[in-house]
Amino acid sequence: MKNINLTKWRYISSAISIFLMLASLTIIGMKGFNWGLDFTGGVVTEVQLDKRITSSELQPLLNAAYQQEVTVISASEPGRWVLRYADTAQSNVDIAQTLAPLGEVQVLNTSIVGPQVGKELAEQGGLALLVAMLCILGYLSYRFEWRLASGAIFALVHDVIFVLAFFSLTQMEFNLTVLAAVLAILGYSLNDSIIIADRIRELLIAKPKLAIQETNNQAIVATFSRTMVTSGTTLMTVGALWIMGGGPLEGFSIAMFIGILTGTFSSISVGTSLPEFLGLNSEHYKVQVITDTP
Amino acid sequence: MDKIQSKKLLNHYSAWKYIVLIVTIIVMLFSALPTWYGEDAAVQVGAKAGLNLTPIELRDKLMAQGVEVKRIEVKHAQHGSANNSEDGQTLIVLNDDSEQTLVKTLVSSMVSEPKELTLALVSAAPSWLQNMGFEPIKLGLDLRGGVQFLLDVDVQPVYQAQADALVESLRQFLREQQIRGASVRIDSTRDDAGLQIAIAFNDAAQSTNNTRSTIRQFMQQSYPTWQLTNADNGLVVKLAQEEQIKLRNLTVQQNLQIMRSRIEELGITEALVQRQGEHRIRIELPGVQDPAAAKNVIGATASLAFFEVKESGSVNAQVLKDKSGNPVYVARTPVLGGDHIVDARANIGEMGMAEVNIHLDRIGGQKMSEFSRANIGKPMATSYSEYSRDEQGKAKQTQEIISVATIQSQLGDRFRITGAGTYQEAQQLALLLRAGSMTAPVTIVEERTIGPTLGAENIQNGFAALGLGMGITLLFMALWYRRLGWVANVALIANMVILFGLLALIPGAVLTLPGIAGLVLTVGMAVDTNVLIFERIKDKLKEGRSFAMAIDTGFDSAFSTIFDANFTTMITAVVLYSIGNGPIQGFALTLGLGLLTSMFTGIFASRALINLVYGRDARRHVRV
Repeated sequence: MKNINLTKWRYISSAISIFLMLASLTIIGMKGFNWGLDFTGGVVTEVQLDKRITSSELQPLLNAAYQQEVTVISASEPGRWVLRYADTAQSNVDIAQTLAPLGEVQVLNTSIVGPQVGKELAEQGGLALLVAMLCILGYLSYRFEWRLASGAIFALVHDVIFVLAFFSLTQMEFNLTVLAAVLAILGYSLNDSIIIADRIRELLIAKPKLAIQETNNQAIVATFSRTMVTSGTTLMTVGALWIMGGGPLEGFSIAMFIGILTGTFSSISVGTSLPEFLGLNSEHYKVQVITDTP
Repeated sequence: MDKIQSKKLLNHYSAWKYIVLIVTIIVMLFSALPTWYGEDAAVQVGAKAGLNLTPIELRDKLMAQGVEVKRIEVKHAQHGSANNSEDGQTLIVLNDDSEQTLVKTLVSSMVSEPKELTLALVSAAPSWLQNMGFEPIKLGLDLRGGVQFLLDVDVQPVYQAQADALVESLRQFLREQQIRGASVRIDSTRDDAGLQIAIAFNDAAQSTNNTRSTIRQFMQQSYPTWQLTNADNGLVVKLAQEEQIKLRNLTVQQNLQIMRSRIEELGITEALVQRQGEHRIRIELPGVQDPAAAKNVIGATASLAFFEVKESGSVNAQVLKDKSGNPVYVARTPVLGGDHIVDARANIGEMGMAEVNIHLDRIGGQKMSEFSRANIGKPMATSYSEYSRDEQGKAKQTQEIISVATIQSQLGDRFRITGAGTYQEAQQLALLLRAGSMTAPVTIVEERTIGPTLGAENIQNGFAALGLGMGITLLFMALWYRRLGWVANVALIANMVILFGLLALIPGAVLTLPGIAGLVLTVGMAVDTNVLIFERIKDKLKEGRSFAMAIDTGFDSAFSTIFDANFTTMITAVVLYSIGNGPIQGFALTLGLGLLTSMFTGIFASRALINLVYGRDARRHVRV
């Protein structure tokens, strides 16, 4: 009874996963990303001002000085502002002088990235994503039968798309650190899938007579407590990073947090359901049975 | 008993394994310790700086300016070898890192040679630890504060210069061979102008067949690095691919060298100058708070040239502007380029004016001597050109006349120019000239400044997150796996010790803010290895085995799963490291190292502990 429910749950959640994935792709297609300085090039300066100053006081001063629309974003702490503008001939203006009428100014950091460098970093980032995907694909197809591997890969794509869609929807800045998080998610999302796939393979060899749905359910139940504990501890530490890590690591922690959540979810649902649809059964591991057991 | 003897003992590690484990952890602990103490900012005063103060006087002087000094070290001469460069060096270690620049300025007024002052960071660990050769983990700029530049070396002018020389030489060859009707020019229609030279023949030359072969022969003999191909009405000459790469490498190497020597002039011991990719140079200047000064030295690719001054309105001349924008008519080609300069120094001259003393090489000296002999009493202009990058990102050259001086007498290989402005400006110019002449323009394409307060804040936040994450994980594991939880916790702590130890030991390993994020992730994931093993042990216990047997089979059956699960993350770590840049590489490093150490401690160390405590536990139905 419980197992039938579990099968049903898996199928329903897989359907939800696929629906969410399509929705995510639509969001990404419609809204795009708020690319960070690393990819677009330009200038970003973080300044510390008196806490009472508002962005409406900053804006006109900056716009006049740089002769362009300067983006003013309030940073994690009161009185801290992130200013972003294009790198033009006027951008050599001294920021401390420009804001001098507002009182004491402390420039915390400045980054200037040339347009070429931004383009190259974007290319390199895309390349990293592609190379990592290909390597993982290669490893999985070597280690597992393709039907089993396809589940893990689908779950992986699902997780990455979901995280990307979150950044597209909230228009949070997508910078190099977030890209690193997305790549780390590639590795971690697979972690759960692989451990379940490992169990499925073991059960297929040990109990070849069992129906495939039953095998998958058993594998999930057997690994469930481990999945929860590991995801739990990782979520807790990433949560700590989110709370304590400060502004620069915020995007990274959020991306990791969502990635781990969906990673756990997808490896249980789509990760096991897809191989079933593709017709995985114990026949596919029969040859190994003979060679593996003496 | 026979059965056990014929196999190996169940749950038994031989003594040498424990020795390896304990030694590893102790060494790593020592290696990790200096990081705990951190680093202090210091100002290093070289022996030749001419500091005539005792340490106590120096401290009092600095105290009077409100600077608190932690300690002042004077390295004394050893065994009378007075010429050792280390001897007599004074190290002023500061309490407050942000006062480093201030102290350097203060001290520079107390010494005769301010150039001998350098900014440094010294380990704050006790000396017995330092004497063992352990050093703190190197921190990235995002944690330490400082300036980072990414420079782009434009190789195109180098190719252009090669092409120009070839065109000249070909034209001369054609004249000598009395080949008419052939024209040589650089094909400027192409984007990579300068790499391709077109030799076009008119009809008369076209008909004589041996023109082509003569040119081919000449090219093969004198310019084998250029490739010839036939075109419709002539020949096309291209620089061979390998030669392009070779030239590029040489140019970037040369620039690296120049940058290193320029950075040395800035006096920052921890500075990093590194090639990045095909034609980029990355410079990291920790502790520097004002990028402008560094930028002036790095960013400008100055070259100096001496020109004959023509009468104003002269046709056969080029017009250059001087500082106040007045046009100066000078000859099209310079008498001498900056590449002949051997040394340049700023001085205060007899009239109290700043001047730059220049020393030329032999060929340069000869040229200057010939020119000045014929032109005594006439003016000579010194031009200063600088490459910068315009809005479209193209390199552009600005050339300015910095002085027009009358030649008083025949000049040799040593002479001086005046009118370079204030003493500071003269010093700046001399520095640029001394550091060498640039053949390829270098422009700053990326610049990041991280204030020291922000760096300190990043460290604080990062380690707070690490502490919190670690605390929660330890607590959770202890509560969840009561009996075995402490094993996982000891393994986790050992894991962190080894990870920090390795980061301090590996040369070139740098801890960045994303690197700390990697550490935090490692804490969460490292327990996974133990969790996998413990869950297997639980399974085996359920199957009715004894605790000892369950431990043995649990470890064995979990291994392949652990390996599979960690391998994919390892792939992403390697990809990130090889493709990423500074901070991201820091993340990839801690992520990858964390995987390795967590496998070591999770499998090996925790097995060693469990063997000792539970190895012989033959009870069944144990709750884990």
